[in-house]
Amino acid sequence: MAISVKVMNRPDPEHTSYLRAALSGMALTFRHLVNPTKVTQQYPEELTNLSPRWRGTHRMEVHADGRPKCVACGLCPTVCPANCIRLVGGEDDQGNRYPIVYEIDEFRCIFCGMCQEVCPVEAIHVGQHFENAEYTRGRFVYDLDRLMEQDHPTTLLWDPSDPSSE
Amino acid sequence: MAELVTLTIDGQEVAVPRGTTILEAAKQIGKQVPHYCYHPGMSSPAMCRLCLVEVEGAPNSMPSCVTAVMEDQVVHTESKQALENRRGVLEFYLVNHPLDCPICDMSGECDLQDYVHAEGRDRGRSDEPKRVFGRDDFGGDVLFYGDRCVMCTRCVRFMNEVEQDQRLTVVERGNRSVIDTFFEEGLEGTHWHGNIVDICPVGALVSKEFLHKARAWDLERTSSICPSCSQGCNIELHTRDNLIQRIKPRENLEVNGWWMCDFGRHNHEWVNRGGQLEDPLVRGPDGVIGAAGWRDALGDLLQHVRGVGGARVKAVATPFASNENLGTLAELVDALGGGDMVYRSVRAEDEIVLKGFPTLARRKDLAPNTSGAELIGFTRVGDDQAAGGLENIATYDGIIIIMGDELSDQEANFGKEAALFVYMGDQQSPAAENAHFVLPVSTFAEEEGSFTNVAGRVQCFSPALKASGMARPAWMILGALAAELNKGDAPRSAADAFSSLASRVEAFAGITYGDLGTRGVVVNETYVLSEN
Repeated sequence: MAISVKVMNRPDPEHTSYLRAALSGMALTFRHLVNPTKVTQQYPEELTNLSPRWRGTHRMEVHADGRPKCVACGLCPTVCPANCIRLVGGEDDQGNRYPIVYEIDEFRCIFCGMCQEVCPVEAIHVGQHFENAEYTRGRFVYDLDRLMEQDHPTTLLWDPSDPSSE
Repeated sequence: MAELVTLTIDGQEVAVPRGTTILEAAKQIGKQVPHYCYHPGMSSPAMCRLCLVEVEGAPNSMPSCVTAVMEDQVVHTESKQALENRRGVLEFYLVNHPLDCPICDMSGECDLQDYVHAEGRDRGRSDEPKRVFGRDDFGGDVLFYGDRCVMCTRCVRFMNEVEQDQRLTVVERGNRSVIDTFFEEGLEGTHWHGNIVDICPVGALVSKEFLHKARAWDLERTSSICPSCSQGCNIELHTRDNLIQRIKPRENLEVNGWWMCDFGRHNHEWVNRGGQLEDPLVRGPDGVIGAAGWRDALGDLLQHVRGVGGARVKAVATPFASNENLGTLAELVDALGGGDMVYRSVRAEDEIVLKGFPTLARRKDLAPNTSGAELIGFTRVGDDQAAGGLENIATYDGIIIIMGDELSDQEANFGKEAALFVYMGDQQSPAAENAHFVLPVSTFAEEEGSFTNVAGRVQCFSPALKASGMARPAWMILGALAAELNKGDAPRSAADAFSSLASRVEAFAGITYGDLGTRGVVVNETYVLSEN
């Protein structure tokens, strides 16, 4: 079979010139330049508004005397689907059950919030927080002291005005 | 066999001997009537009022734990009347119960928790403040949380009827009533009080040793046999993180009923102590001992054995070893041309008998398988502290095989003259310095096997823990060697090892590993040892 060549005509400049697209792009830019509504966020000078149900890294609530509220019941390691909580219970000087070891591996955590939901004493919470950068991987295993130091707001897992979703 | 009575429980006909209670009859058809105060091993005061069932024709609900069955009786355990009754009773139990399940050690295996979840009200209606007792130290291993108590008095009845040492009582009356001890010493000095923690249906009595250690749902439960004396109590090993967390008795009316002694219950640290041998160690031609794989170690050992040739064997075993391990050792000794087989064991001064269940005692013999060792042909040497008796072995110049005995009383020059010295154990021993081969073997908690108890009952146990490193059951190692020497087949399971034992030792003849089941089998009567 003989090879045939189909000759394509070059499109006219009206359709190939980039000038039109460039101009319409520039027009958009200039419109935004004079538009009074600002959309750029000035992070970190200005922080974003997180949803009250944002689930970030954990925080342990403390009693007024500085003891952790945790009673080492073992429900959060049991319910945790990612198996990221390590807990060893014990008894303190006053005869209270408390966590000798309480560690959360934030790398392994999937931030489902079930630990907060299952906690019978409202001790462990996920928080409205996202700035977690560290220099080493090891720092992402939060121990009890670290969890107690956190001061970010805790997550609301449900509407406080209707706690049992009625 | 007593005369049978036929009755109908929840529409199902059941025939039981006359005198059986409705509660036990219901058990026969798989119906568990909720109860607290009733325990099959003790008297029934019918005071918890939870087991009330509807009996057609009776004016009121009847307590099923004390009501004997009658011919053609029709019982409903799940009728509206029975359920309403249980709901009401459970609500009363929760009036003063602190509901501190998150910090209660019983949580997850608590009868109150279970029954309330299954049949109780979802919310309490009591507005009154709860009465508070706090916590009391009962002495021994027992802590008492008075607020959690449901006043079933099982603990009081256990101490009065089974241990027969009255240490507990109910003081005060009505809603102020509480369990208490008579004197300062409480339960201190009693030998069976761990059982009251087991039979407490709620978390009122808890073990100090186990306090806050693990949650019930985290524990793996494995059937085993108590290794602390020759009684052979049936137990469950509760393990987590490859450690024994606690030991609980397992029901076997032929051996230990529902009970076990405190000595056996708390004697498990030796399994958890760590530092176990992990690799087979072989002494090279240069005299330096170093780690090797099993294939190399056993190959070297065989070569060594063939090189020595003809020397009689002196074997020292431990009565903590299973029938399978002892039997395979005996088989190997035979294959090597015979020799002396001895064991050493600790003996206590006296027995501690449980008065209310006199066939159960903490025996003098503090090892689980001395009967098995005797039947298989080992003889006892040494004193009651399991020391001495090895003088002629320490300087022997033939083949020495040590299995399990840690030689803790022996000098470092033990076995210096030996042509071949094989040490098998789970821990390194300072007296095994001259050993040519140090082979790591698993403990009873890490392997399958059977013990023969004081009454000649052969009972099997299951592995609960993972053995450390390359440790293997002794029967596997010895069996492989014996098979090479005899040109036979090596045992591939504990059942294989047991059947070869049964074919060699007459006392075990006719028993198969499968026969042992969960209740055990007694060896041929003529072989039962009279001495404990």
